[in-house]
Amino acid sequence: MKNLFGALSVTTALALTTTVAMAEVKVGAIFDLTGGLNIYGIQQRNALDLAIADVNAAGGVNGEEVVVVGYDAQSELSKYTQFAQTAVLRDGISAMFAGLTSSSREAIRPIFREANIPYFYASLYEGGACDRQTFVTGSSASQQLSVLMDWAVKNYGPRVYIMAPDYNFGTISGHWIHEYAERNGAEVVGEDYLALSVTDYAPTIQKIQAANPDVVVALPVGAAQTGFLEQFAAAGLKDSIGVVSTNYGSGNQQVVVSPQAGEGLISAMGYFPSVESEANTAFKAAWEAEYGTDTPIVAGAVDVWNAVQLWAAAANQAGSTDTDAVIAALESGLSFEAPNGTVTLEPGSHHLRQDIYIARGNATNGFDIVETFADSAPSYENEMCNLIENPDLAEHFTPEG
Amino acid sequence: MELDFLATVLLSSLSSASILLIATLGLAVVYGLMGVINLAHGEFLMVGAYSALTATQIGLPFFLAVPFAVAMTMLIGAIVELLIIKWLYGRIFDTMLATWGLGMVFNQGAVLLFGTVSPGIGMPQWNFKIGDFSLAVYPIAMIGVAAVMLIFVYFLMTKTVYGMKARASIQQPEMARAIGIDSARVNTLTFAIGCGLAGFAGAILVPIIPATPSMGLFFAVKGFLAVVVAGPVAVTGTAMTALGLGGGASVTASFMTSVIGDVFFFLITALLLWLYPKGISTKWRRKL
Repeated sequence: MKNLFGALSVTTALALTTTVAMAEVKVGAIFDLTGGLNIYGIQQRNALDLAIADVNAAGGVNGEEVVVVGYDAQSELSKYTQFAQTAVLRDGISAMFAGLTSSSREAIRPIFREANIPYFYASLYEGGACDRQTFVTGSSASQQLSVLMDWAVKNYGPRVYIMAPDYNFGTISGHWIHEYAERNGAEVVGEDYLALSVTDYAPTIQKIQAANPDVVVALPVGAAQTGFLEQFAAAGLKDSIGVVSTNYGSGNQQVVVSPQAGEGLISAMGYFPSVESEANTAFKAAWEAEYGTDTPIVAGAVDVWNAVQLWAAAANQAGSTDTDAVIAALESGLSFEAPNGTVTLEPGSHHLRQDIYIARGNATNGFDIVETFADSAPSYENEMCNLIENPDLAEHFTPEG
Repeated sequence: MELDFLATVLLSSLSSASILLIATLGLAVVYGLMGVINLAHGEFLMVGAYSALTATQIGLPFFLAVPFAVAMTMLIGAIVELLIIKWLYGRIFDTMLATWGLGMVFNQGAVLLFGTVSPGIGMPQWNFKIGDFSLAVYPIAMIGVAAVMLIFVYFLMTKTVYGMKARASIQQPEMARAIGIDSARVNTLTFAIGCGLAGFAGAILVPIIPATPSMGLFFAVKGFLAVVVAGPVAVTGTAMTALGLGGGASVTASFMTSVIGDVFFFLITALLLWLYPKGISTKWRRKL
């Protein structure tokens, strides 16, 4: 114990003296810490702080301490562009970590492209974002759905119903569900795209029963749409019709949904807290020491952690935080042991090759992992977006139809 | 079209309309009766939901958690009336600004107190079948709840001494005071009842719609429109508009899509307000 205190005081003293001498590297962060989206934003920001502390504890970036300039976007799109401009023009940042919704990403992506600053987007999303400054660590819709649809058709049957939010995440996911259902010889027997404010799911539940599917692909976004799962279960349909999702749990919906409605729901994502690996045990221990065990860690938090680690690794490898050097290092096929398994940054598409887990909701508001699809490629993004060959590409690819 | 589908659609649309009515009646009392635009109505609903949730977490059965939530929201409502609303009667925009700010405070307060996710209660897993279609019992039971709530409010405001005092205090405050009614206290109570009704709605609906700090938002817009379209005969009028607009939107959503259902809701609202700028009940001869 005495030794520990001794060691601690030595490191504190060292830290105190070195912070004065050490130069700083600034990185920006814009997340939704207040407002309706903060179920994701708070954890994203917590993960960022944890990852930066981890990087600094390991010696910082090229011997320099990393400092965060953080902003709260208040779940408002206009705040994103405002703070992104401020971060670029005033703060002199070397990298930016920001955004949850696709609209927020698309609002600020051009700003960082213009300023030539690496921008990390860390959230699961519909896929297809492609430009030289943008790096995506979340999983894309096709990356998750390709795995999930194979599994769902095999385990439930060939009649598929789609319940999704009525904007690009929902409709593009709908496209992939059609494509992967067809690949498996299955058929989409009905689909319903719903506004985020809908609270009454009786019409949807009737349409589902009229279509008589084997499995419903439900992609509820936001608190109101979570009510769908509750109403679906209470109508007694959960036992005869399977429910699978690519975003159930991404905002800890499994905590909100009652155990009787949540048990047995299937979700496919890039991270669940129950992933068993050394890296995850260490990550969870660090997280719980800092933030407690009240709320389970969401996939978006791990995506932010991975983004920071990849940037720091690239900057260290490049020996500089100069944008072109960092991007060159990021495009060198960086790989590391993340909490969610081994992840590799694809040089061409700037998306992450990572494990996709299929998990089943259990009776205690948690998830049990059923199957792991190791090293799943973001194949659509790899196919469309090759920034090594075409560094000038600046697109948001969407599948035809 | 099969008969069982039709029956299911009608029954569940009636249930949707009832849920809207439950969420809106408190607003009808406060706005329709007192003329106070309470933009924090949705947040009172949220407070009711969290009160019920907290009560069940400390071991109270659900049927006792609901009155607990009503008591909590009535108490908070009374405090809000004494501290804020009281000073702003007749100043409609100032009230709007004040209650809007109050709503933001409640919203963020809930985030700080309960975090962003709280375990839900869940509906009783009872269901029944009409032909090939299975329906959950709890949302259908809301039809009865809405009816009882409507009758309660109607009788409270028209047949009791308090109800007469309440209407007198708002419509003729000086005359009311002249005949010995303590109109300030009556107003406090009326506002508290409006908030209590919102709290009741939040508590009774929490099994259907999970409690989140921003849940009030989902009801606020449609609730306001229903009350505004209803006009001066607040309670009966709101029952009609909730049934017509909410039920109509749900039927439309069943046969087409939920987006078209919403379009129906807002188009009919616009049409009715164009035809009856002061609400559909302007020429009705009912009191409430």
